[in-house]
Amino acid sequence: MADSMIKLEELTKVYEGTEEPAVADLSMDVPEGEIVVLVGPSGCGKTTTMKMINRVIEPTSGRIFLEGEDVTSTNPDLLRRRIGYVIQQIGLFPHMSIRDNVATVPRLLDWDEHKIDDRVDELLELVGMDPGRFRGRYPRELSGGQRQRIGVIRALAADPPVMLMDEPFGAIDPITRERLQNEFLRLQADIKKTIVFVTHDIDEAIKMGDRIAILQDQSIIAQFDTPEEILTNPASQFVSDFVGSGAALKRMNLTRVGEVTLKDWPTARSDEKRDTLRNRLDDAEQDQLLLLDDDGRPRRWLHAQDLRTDDELTSVGEEVHGVISANSTIADALDQMLRSHYGTAVVVDDDDRYTGAVDMAVVLAAAEAMGQSAGADAQHRLADADVETTDEEQVSG
Amino acid sequence: MSASATDTAGRSSGGIWIRPALIAAIVIAVFVWINAVELDSIEQRLLATDAIVSAVVRHIQLVVISTVTVVALAVPAGIALTRRNLLSRALGPPILAIANAGQAVPSLGILVLIAVLFRALGFWPTIFALVLYAFLPILRNTIVGIEQVDESVIESAVGMGMTKRGVLRKIELPLAVPVVLAGIRTALVINVGTATVATLVNSGGLGDIVYGGIVQSRSTVLWAGALLVAALALAIDFLGGLAEDKLRPKGI
Ligand SMILES: Nc1ncnc2c1ncn2[C@@H]1O[C@H](COP(=O)(O)OP(=O)(O)OP(=O)(O)O)[C@@H](O)[C@H]1O
Ligand SMILES: [Mg+2]
Repeated sequence: MADSMIKLEELTKVYEGTEEPAVADLSMDVPEGEIVVLVGPSGCGKTTTMKMINRVIEPTSGRIFLEGEDVTSTNPDLLRRRIGYVIQQIGLFPHMSIRDNVATVPRLLDWDEHKIDDRVDELLELVGMDPGRFRGRYPRELSGGQRQRIGVIRALAADPPVMLMDEPFGAIDPITRERLQNEFLRLQADIKKTIVFVTHDIDEAIKMGDRIAILQDQSIIAQFDTPEEILTNPASQFVSDFVGSGAALKRMNLTRVGEVTLKDWPTARSDEKRDTLRNRLDDAEQDQLLLLDDDGRPRRWLHAQDLRTDDELTSVGEEVHGVISANSTIADALDQMLRSHYGTAVVVDDDDRYTGAVDMAVVLAAAEAMGQSAGADAQHRLADADVETTDEEQVSG
Repeated sequence: MSASATDTAGRSSGGIWIRPALIAAIVIAVFVWINAVELDSIEQRLLATDAIVSAVVRHIQLVVISTVTVVALAVPAGIALTRRNLLSRALGPPILAIANAGQAVPSLGILVLIAVLFRALGFWPTIFALVLYAFLPILRNTIVGIEQVDESVIESAVGMGMTKRGVLRKIELPLAVPVVLAGIRTALVINVGTATVATLVNSGGLGDIVYGGIVQSRSTVLWAGALLVAALALAIDFLGGLAEDKLRPKGI
C-alpha cells in the first residue's frame, strides 16, 4: 500500500484514571480512495481509534500521518478542517440554518460567500434535497434521514480528502439506513474519498467496506482485509465468530452475477418453425425454451405442450417475470430463482437483452469458487459450540 | 414579589397587549384614586407627583444599574466556570456555595449586613447588595444554559476544526441565550422587589413611599406605593419577555 492516505503508527490511548489502554499499539494504513471499516465488539476501541485520527482524542503515544505528513502534534484545529467528520448523533447546530450548518468548514477556511452558496446548493442537490426548499430551514424542520444527509454533506463541504464516520447510519430505521448506505456508496463512487468508517454491524461493514479491520479488545487487529478474504479466509476463531453463522450466505452478497459463468439457456424466436423449436427442446437438458423478441429481450417460457399448439408463440407459455443484471449479487439471483417457477434467474444486459441464466448449478459453482465451503464453516463452528453466547454479545455490540 | 413572576411568563401567543394594558390600568387607577380622595398634608407630601416620579426614576436606576453590573459579572463568571480547566474545577464549587448562601439570606439581611460592613448607607451600597443578591440566578442560569448544550453538537463543532473560542461564541453562547435571558429576567424582577426594601438603607426609590405609608400609618400611601412597585415589576418582566423572544436564536 504505497500511497496510504492515513497511516497510524503504534497508536496507544490510555484514558486518564484507567490502567489498561483503550487502544494498544495500533498500526494501520488506510489506502487513498478506499472505505476502511473498523468493526468489532462494543468497547473494543473503534471510536477511540477513529477520534485519534483527527485528534478529538489525543493519543497517549504513537504517530499519525495524513497524506504523508506527520500530524501528531500539528495544530489540531487546522488538522480537523482537512478531515470530514460525521458522528452518529449528527450534531447539527440547531440554531443555524441548513446553509449555515453546511457552510461551517468553508467559513473556517475563509471561502467567499458566493462560493459557499454555490457549494451548499451543489451538495444539497447531490443528496437529492431541493436547495430552494431546504437551504433556509433549521435542523428541527427536517426528518431523521434528511438530517443524516446534511451531516454527511456538511462533512464534505470543503472537499476534504479524508472522512471519518462513526456509525453514521446507526440511529435510523432499517429502511432509511439501507437507502442512505446505497446513496452514500453511489456518492463515493464519484468522490473517491478516503474514509474511515466505524460500525459494530458486520453486515454494514461488508456492504460499505473496501477493506475491513476486525478489531478485538484494545483495538488489536484480528484481521485487516477485503470483505471477500474475511468471509472466505477468516484469520482466526475470533474473526469467524464475529462474522457469525451466516458467513456462507454473506458471501453471496459479495459475488456479482457478472463475475460468474452463466448458463446458456435454449432460446427461441417467434419467427422460427415449430419443428425446429421442438427439436431444440428435445435436445436440451432444460424443459423450457426462452422466447426472445426481435431485440433479443426475454419474453416467455415455452414448454413442449406450448409448441404443439398453433397459437402465436407470444401468447402461449408463461411470461418472464423479473430479470437480473451483471451488477446483481448472487444473493439477488438466488432471490429471483426462488420466486420464479423454474428455479432460474434470467440475466440481461443494459439494454435488457438476454445474456444468460443463473440456476442452482451456477450458484453452487460460484459458492465453491468463493473458496471455503459452507461445510468447513459449519465444522469450524461445531468445534467451538461454547462460543455461541459471546458471539451474540459481540455481534450486538 | 418573587421570582415566580418569570415562571408564568411563557410566551402567550395572542394578546400581547394584555400585560401593558393591565400595567397602565394599575398606574392610572392609582393616580385617579389619589386624586379623588381627600389627602392630609403628610399624604400629600408622600404622594406628590414629582415625589412619585423621582421615586420611580430612582427605583429604575437601582434596578437597571445593579442588573447591568451583575450581568457583566455573573455571565463571564458562569462562562469561566464551564471551561473545563483546573481553575474552574478549583473555583467552581466555592463560588457556587457563596452565591447560594447569599441568596439564602433574606434580602433585608444582606442590606443590613452591607450597611454594617461598609458603614455606609445610600445608593451605591444598595447597588452592591442588589448585585450580590441577583448574582446567583444569573450565574446558575449561565452555567446551566451552557451545560445543557447537546454534547454531540459541541463534538461536531470541535471535530470540524472550530477553535475553543469559536465553539463558545458560535455554538455554546447562542444556544445558552434563552436560559441566560431567563436568569436575567428573574434577577430584574428580584431586584425590583429588593430595591423596595433598600429604602431602609436610605437609597430612595418606591420603597420610600411604601415605608413612608407604613411608618406614618397612612394606608392610602402604602397601597399606592405597593401598587406602583407591582406595576413596575410587571412592566420590567414584560419588557424582559419581549427581549427574550427577540433575542432567542431562530431554530430553537
Ligand atoms: N473518556 C473515557 N474515559 C475512560 N475510558 C473510556 C473513555 N472513553 C472510552 N473509554 C473506554 O475505552 C474503551 C473503548 O471505548 P470506545 O468508545 O472506543 O469503544 P467502541 O469500540 O467505540 O465501542 P461501541 O461499539 O460501544 O461504540 C472502552 O472500554 C471504554 O469504556
Ligand atoms: Mg463507539
